[in-house]
Amino acid sequence: MTLLLQQVVLGLLIGGIYVAVAMGFSLVWGILNIVNLAHGALVIVGAYLTWWLFARLGLDPFLSLPLVALALFGLGYLLQRGLVNRVIRAPLFFTLLLTFGVNLMIVNVLLLLFKSDFRSVTPAYSGSGLGIAGIEVPYIRVGALAVALLVAGAVGYLLNRTRTGAAILAVGADRDAARLVGVDLRHVYALTFAIGAACAGVAGALISTIQAITPTAGEPYTLQAFVVVVLGGLGRVSATVVGGLLFGLVETLGQTMVPGLGAGWANAIAFAIMVLVLVVRPQGLLGRLA
Amino acid sequence: MLSRRNVAGLAAAMAVGLAACGSAGGGAATTTGEDIVIGAPMSITGSQSKEGGLAKQGYDMWLQWINGQGGIVVKGTRHKVQLKYEDDQSKPDISAQLTQKLVAEEHAQFLLGPYGSATTASDAVVAEKNGVPMVEGNGAAQAIFNQGYKYVFGVLSPANRYLQGVLDMAASLSPRPTSIAMLSADDNFSLEVAKAVTDYAPSKGFAIVYSDKYPNGSTNLSGLVANAKAKSPDLVLNSGHLQEAIAIHKAAKDLKLDARGFAYSVGPSTPDFVTALGKDADFVFSGSQWTAQVKYRPSFYLSVPDYVAAYKKQFSTSEEPDYHVAESTAACLALQKAIENAGSLKPDKVRDALASLDVTTFFGQTKFDSRGINVYKPMVVEQIQDGKHHTVWPADLADAKPLYPTPAWSSR
Repeated sequence: MTLLLQQVVLGLLIGGIYVAVAMGFSLVWGILNIVNLAHGALVIVGAYLTWWLFARLGLDPFLSLPLVALALFGLGYLLQRGLVNRVIRAPLFFTLLLTFGVNLMIVNVLLLLFKSDFRSVTPAYSGSGLGIAGIEVPYIRVGALAVALLVAGAVGYLLNRTRTGAAILAVGADRDAARLVGVDLRHVYALTFAIGAACAGVAGALISTIQAITPTAGEPYTLQAFVVVVLGGLGRVSATVVGGLLFGLVETLGQTMVPGLGAGWANAIAFAIMVLVLVVRPQGLLGRLA
Repeated sequence: MLSRRNVAGLAAAMAVGLAACGSAGGGAATTTGEDIVIGAPMSITGSQSKEGGLAKQGYDMWLQWINGQGGIVVKGTRHKVQLKYEDDQSKPDISAQLTQKLVAEEHAQFLLGPYGSATTASDAVVAEKNGVPMVEGNGAAQAIFNQGYKYVFGVLSPANRYLQGVLDMAASLSPRPTSIAMLSADDNFSLEVAKAVTDYAPSKGFAIVYSDKYPNGSTNLSGLVANAKAKSPDLVLNSGHLQEAIAIHKAAKDLKLDARGFAYSVGPSTPDFVTALGKDADFVFSGSQWTAQVKYRPSFYLSVPDYVAAYKKQFSTSEEPDYHVAESTAACLALQKAIENAGSLKPDKVRDALASLDVTTFFGQTKFDSRGINVYKPMVVEQIQDGKHHTVWPADLADAKPLYPTPAWSSR
């Protein structure tokens, strides 16, 4: 029983990471209709930035979060304005091709800058945590979950309570109508992409404290973000939160709790659930019908 | 193929004939022959570019040294060495294509291995098909050597030995550990390491209380670590890769898994493990092909301290060469010695000389079993003590005693 509870706690905590990873991906997909294959690479850029600030300047990974988010926001804005905007109305295939190319470029620039050494941010308090009745709750992972939920809340507030958010949602709903009422399309596109990149940067910062990073480690995160968005559904912040936590739970429990099955089946189980959701509820668990 | 062998033979014969114009300095040889062309596919970019870069350093060290000596002596004739690299991007299929290109278009007479078991396995097929001897130092999976190949030789200890030394050492420690949790990645190499542990552990009086495998490259391993913790193992063993080793060790700390010893097949011997984990890396054991502290008595090339010094000088670094560098240099030395012993550049002659090679270098004994893998060199056990790598097993090669048991996380 203790073990099961421990696994549930671990699943929810790692789910927090998946929420953070998927948040920006979901936003960009939902509003710009771009499946951003460079998302994982942006996550790793955030991770490296955090590591660099920690290793060179001794900056705590949670304190440097705003800096990392800001830097990625800028990078995202420029990327969209300079590159992605050129294919914004092109068929899906072109956006896939372009973002895949961007992904390769970022990975190789990181390889040049940082080599393929493995890095990890290990602050003094890493590993300390709360032990409740035999269940370990590591502070760093709780912090990561809290930050992820905070980011989700901020994105939700921005979208639903501010003028900018209304403009972003309007563009997502009907870009031509939005233009007619005076929304600056190019700016809103770039802004949305920039917010997505900032979320990716935050996710990367969190990941650098829990795992080891290397320039090529980003691709699995693109895939995870994709699964989370499909699970939860597109177009709602709460859907991404539910999808992320659920994916973390399924992965951890599937890895450890199914009798007779090895950890190798965890991914198979997670993807089977994704397929099931696609069949039964194609819009995702909480998604809106398009 | 045949025609090139003839050309090489003819060239050698001509070089012997033209004894008078030799210019190589020193030694008994007085003539200079055509360059020997050796091909090496290598992970210069891609996911294994870190390890590939280290392996390339090992090759380059030997290349500089042998050409500094005037080259390889074949029956009194010196041949300088040309080493041709091709970047295989760490991908097995590309590596095989490039191996074919090295042999067919760049006329490589011999091959040195790429980095990693997967690429080595695919390149071995090409070497075998073309009858070109390949000596490799970076593919330890026995699957490579169980195909009945005649032209493929590996100077490193096979995968099943990776954690054996750790078990031998653990059996000598007090309080004696009795239970083992084993976490393994699901690639060929890691599974071989894990299977060897589960086969060997009972004979040393260890019980495997938990064992599971996870997909190669997994980053979320805390669930498995929690499962392992529930069994309170004395030893936590992992056969996987650097990234997973770091993830498992972080999770062990997060979850207060207080094992008496942690040992990882791959990871702790690289500097990255220590820089990524800081103080938490202390007390960790690791199987290693070689360390800069071993005390072998080489019959040729450099001694261990000289090798370390030469490495630091050639690459202007203060870091010691890790085992990837050493095993790569050792592969070159095996090829060189075999060519000298064969007294010929003919592939089949050199192949026979490799099969009967028995020589000790700074890397240890190099001798191949009938499959072509070096089962005669022991794996050593390293431990990270106060951020430094020390060799702790076997005792006659060690420079420090193992620190054991590992203190609980709460008291570190």
